[in-house]
Amino acid sequence: MLPSLQKYRHSFLIGIQSNLVYRWNFAVRGFFSLFHLAVVFILWSAAYEGKTELGGFRLDQTITYFVMLVVLQFFIGAFNEDYQISEEIRNGLINQFLLKPINYFGYRFSIYAAARMVSGLLVIIPLLVALPFLKDYLTFPHEWWRLAIGLPAMALSAVIQFSIAYCFGLLTFWFLEIQGFVILSMAIEMVLGGQIFPLDLLGPKVLNVAQYLPFYYQMYFPAAIFTGRLNDWTLALRGLGFELVWVLVLLVLNQFLWVRGLRRHTAVGG
Amino acid sequence: MAHYLKIWLASARYSLVRMMMFRFDFFLWSTVELVWIVVNVLMISVIYSHTDRMAGWSKYEMLLLVGTSMLIQRLLMGFFWSSIFEMSRNIRTGNFDFFLAQPGNVMFMATTRKLDPDSLINSVAALAVIVYAALQLHLHPSTLDLVVYASMIFSGLMIHYSILVSTISVAFWITNAQGIEGSYFTLTEFSRLPREAFKALAGRILFVWLLPVVVVSNVPANTLLHGFSPLFALWLFGAAIGWFAFTVWIFNRGLKRYSSASS
Repeated sequence: MLPSLQKYRHSFLIGIQSNLVYRWNFAVRGFFSLFHLAVVFILWSAAYEGKTELGGFRLDQTITYFVMLVVLQFFIGAFNEDYQISEEIRNGLINQFLLKPINYFGYRFSIYAAARMVSGLLVIIPLLVALPFLKDYLTFPHEWWRLAIGLPAMALSAVIQFSIAYCFGLLTFWFLEIQGFVILSMAIEMVLGGQIFPLDLLGPKVLNVAQYLPFYYQMYFPAAIFTGRLNDWTLALRGLGFELVWVLVLLVLNQFLWVRGLRRHTAVGG
Repeated sequence: MAHYLKIWLASARYSLVRMMMFRFDFFLWSTVELVWIVVNVLMISVIYSHTDRMAGWSKYEMLLLVGTSMLIQRLLMGFFWSSIFEMSRNIRTGNFDFFLAQPGNVMFMATTRKLDPDSLINSVAALAVIVYAALQLHLHPSTLDLVVYASMIFSGLMIHYSILVSTISVAFWITNAQGIEGSYFTLTEFSRLPREAFKALAGRILFVWLLPVVVVSNVPANTLLHGFSPLFALWLFGAAIGWFAFTVWIFNRGLKRYSSASS
């Protein structure tokens, strides 16, 4: 078992090396996320003008939520994994993996994990630069269960993020150009994942429906646990169960698309 | 002028023929753009379901502002985005030679070659958001107000075009400028905010005056809402001319550094 995992450890290490080459791209991207945080701060400060609470949450809680989203984005968000997979299928580079004793999902996931480790650590730099401005607006609850449930939730969110990107990448077996699908899905994911506004602002009915969708677990769920928007540990535990179900569903879907897609795939050239 | 119009019409015809060839692509991208418009409108609706005013702006005033910002962005995407987006790649690969050999100004040829009909179609959707907000606000703009508004939209388009082209022109110096266009989208996020929301002096100087991304949407929206303000109109038109002149200068400076990439 362990020896067979060695190859994924190597692809993880290669992933770290190749992503360190793009450290400046990630760093620049991280600094631009500060501009996004500036927009968030100006917008929500204006919305809170003359009010202490909005949807039951204070301004500092909402700013903390959006800062947490930036951290999660860089630690678990799928950046361009769908394009990379799509390119490998389109250019025929995927053929080499069909002949080797390596699982393509496993290989790609190790590269993704390495990339997010690099980008996640790099985003800490701009956030530290912004800390003097942000510190008065950061407020985190201290209950132990938030880490105990939040960290596994974050890990499962990473699998959901990657699996959705992987599914879109595999669509290249059927459609040559997947960019339209990706951007369309991004809009839906951003709304239902709580990246445009916290999902709880939509009201309890919509929030309840959203909990049954995978997008809820992409960002909102771990962010809500860490930032105090979800305050009942039994609900958090129930959410973790739903998240696990979605992980399994997406893994089965990934495998299904891979098997069906390979039937359509034609490897040309030597 | 007629010469350039003829060239542009030929490019537009080529883009339309291409669109007819890839009809599903056109349908898909039109849907994508429409969904993003809906996302923006949804965000305004959600925030205003918890508050009545933001920085002194009511829900429909804010919708008018966001609609104006989206209209300018859709026009930019429709008329220029694909061509400008390809510029950095063409500079890197040496395919930029193609534009040097064409019968016209290089900046014009390189930035107007492709049209995106899906974005242009969606500028109608952005316009519909503006009209809907104006109807809800019971606005009755005169013909002159509409002409001034249209000229301000044109100036805003000129500013966005200039910021984007001057940003991409960095590729003449650093060659690999891939991803730099993302910075443009970050800046356009500011154009959906009301000017009054910028409380900090540093933010006001940077985003309202130095980089006129806020003025670009706020001045036309304010013209429809409260009438013509000569000071801000003058600033908008001045910024459009200034930014365009700067872009022509930086583009031509960059062009002198271009050394092609052929073997």
